[in-house]
Amino acid sequence: MSAFSAILPARWVKKWRSAVLSWALLFALAVVPLLIPSPNFKRLLFTTFLWVTTSIAWNLLGGFAGQVSFGFAVFYGIGAYTTALLMNAGVDPFIAFLASACTAALVSLVVGLPAFRLRGPYFAIATIGISEAVRVVMTNLSFTGGASGYRIVEHRPFSQLEHYYTALLLAAVAFTISWMIAHAKFGVGLSAIRQDEDAAADLGVNPYTHKLAAHALAAALTGMAGGVFARYAAFIHPGGVFGFHTSVQILLMPVIGGIATVWGPVLGGFVFGIVEEEIVATFPQIHLLLYGVLLILIILFEPGGILGGLNRVVRRFRGKH
Amino acid sequence: MTLIDFINLLLSALLLAGVYAVMSVGMTVIYGVMKIVNLAHAGFMMLGAYFALELFQRFGIDPILAALLAFPAMFLVGGVVHWVLVRRLPRSNEPTLPSLLLMFGLWLVLQNLGYLIWGNTDRSIFTPRTLSVINLGPISISKVRLTVFVAAVACLVLLQVILHYTWFGRSVRAMIQNRYAALISGVHEDRTAGIAFGLGIGFAGLAGGLLGSLYSFDPDFGRPFLIRAFVIIVLGGLESISGVAIGALVLALVETFSILFVPAGYQLAISFGLLAVALIVLPGGIASLLAKARRLA
Repeated sequence: MSAFSAILPARWVKKWRSAVLSWALLFALAVVPLLIPSPNFKRLLFTTFLWVTTSIAWNLLGGFAGQVSFGFAVFYGIGAYTTALLMNAGVDPFIAFLASACTAALVSLVVGLPAFRLRGPYFAIATIGISEAVRVVMTNLSFTGGASGYRIVEHRPFSQLEHYYTALLLAAVAFTISWMIAHAKFGVGLSAIRQDEDAAADLGVNPYTHKLAAHALAAALTGMAGGVFARYAAFIHPGGVFGFHTSVQILLMPVIGGIATVWGPVLGGFVFGIVEEEIVATFPQIHLLLYGVLLILIILFEPGGILGGLNRVVRRFRGKH
Repeated sequence: MTLIDFINLLLSALLLAGVYAVMSVGMTVIYGVMKIVNLAHAGFMMLGAYFALELFQRFGIDPILAALLAFPAMFLVGGVVHWVLVRRLPRSNEPTLPSLLLMFGLWLVLQNLGYLIWGNTDRSIFTPRTLSVINLGPISISKVRLTVFVAAVACLVLLQVILHYTWFGRSVRAMIQNRYAALISGVHEDRTAGIAFGLGIGFAGLAGGLLGSLYSFDPDFGRPFLIRAFVIIVLGGLESISGVAIGALVLALVETFSILFVPAGYQLAISFGLLAVALIVLPGGIASLLAKARRLA
């Protein structure tokens, strides 16, 4: 890398390294299902990609803009149900995914328009409220089957690889969006809002529209992930896709990985996606307890998550502080 | 709807408002002093309800008395939680991301502990009082609701006395109004915050115990009440104790009378609708409305 840093500005080299790393990762993940054809392995990675997508999406708002949301299951569920309803109406699944993104983004405005008008804890509070309210409504709604769930009829032959690549593509799109935002004026505006909203507003960043846009984008990605999940699962019910634990997981991943970074949520999503299966299988009784303890420990001792911890170790190793 | 029905509904809304106020006031005290939104409130309410149940079942203590005993017990728990966890959070003048996530994690832990200890079956506290009513001519009042209401109002009055006539109360009110000015005037931040946190959790436990006498509960039972408490404190303006009383009354009235028009399953959606309306129309809460009226007068 030193050859590059001699001729190129350090900022570019850093970007360049990140780009090589992400392309290599994408390539490896695209090839791996062809080498290891085990269906269970593909399923594990498939769900992990969806988690990575939602983790990146949460980080756009919760990390970059610093607006904690406890209600991302709303978008996941809305996306899942939109895709389910459209696919049963005979719409092509990929168009249904796009429709899911649009519906979720619209719903995000319903929460954001009132809640972002005010500073303070109002948004976080409103997200808990809406996720409960939406689940209650969906449990009682008759045309989606209410609490007993909704079945999706697939018209094409089942191909696990197609699902796999759809999820991988979605995660890659989410990562690209996150990476671009982090390096664009929009992302700088978001992190200015996180650090000091008054100062950001003084410098000409409109906090209201910035938060709304980040929220809508995050909702669209989460909704699409919900849609892809619904098509794969072929059966969804409000207690699952709208469930409280879905919101908890979506929030936990970026916190584990390291919020307000590009790679943190990806790392968190992978670690969580792979470890979660084991945890839920081994300790079904106490997995919420483990999530809670993990959250508390990270907040108190390593707010930067895994990435922050790694950075600290690397810095100590090199003798810098 | 006849006049008698109307009066009956009005009375039940009023009786409900008492316990709603108790469950929200703890959150207001904690938010006011420390600017922390206590998401774990639901978990502490659940603990209070099971505390009352255990005392009632094991020792035959009257559940209302048991709920009152939950207050000192949960006060101690709150003090310990503050000392071990909350104290370590970065101080701020507005709610921070770490504080939200920490309280959320604590809620998950409490809820899961509840499941481990008591399982997920619905429990309820049943006494001869539960089903008996007092009849005043055509108007009937549930005895247990009346007792709960009296206990709730007594505790709220006690809180007001403490806040207005003790040094601790003065420092709490000073912290709510202006943290820096309070620190300059010699308020001991850690001590005040610790006691205030204990007080808030104590009220959560008390509210849980009282609610346990009214409804059946399981380890997740605090969640719908957490959202109601949010609605109430937002209606009240987040930091105003008298605002909480009015907010509780408004929510209780809206919920009770909405039963006439909307199926009971959608009640939570109604509380959320009220929250959205409050955010759009009345961002400062009812307290700001009162302040405006006072200024105009």
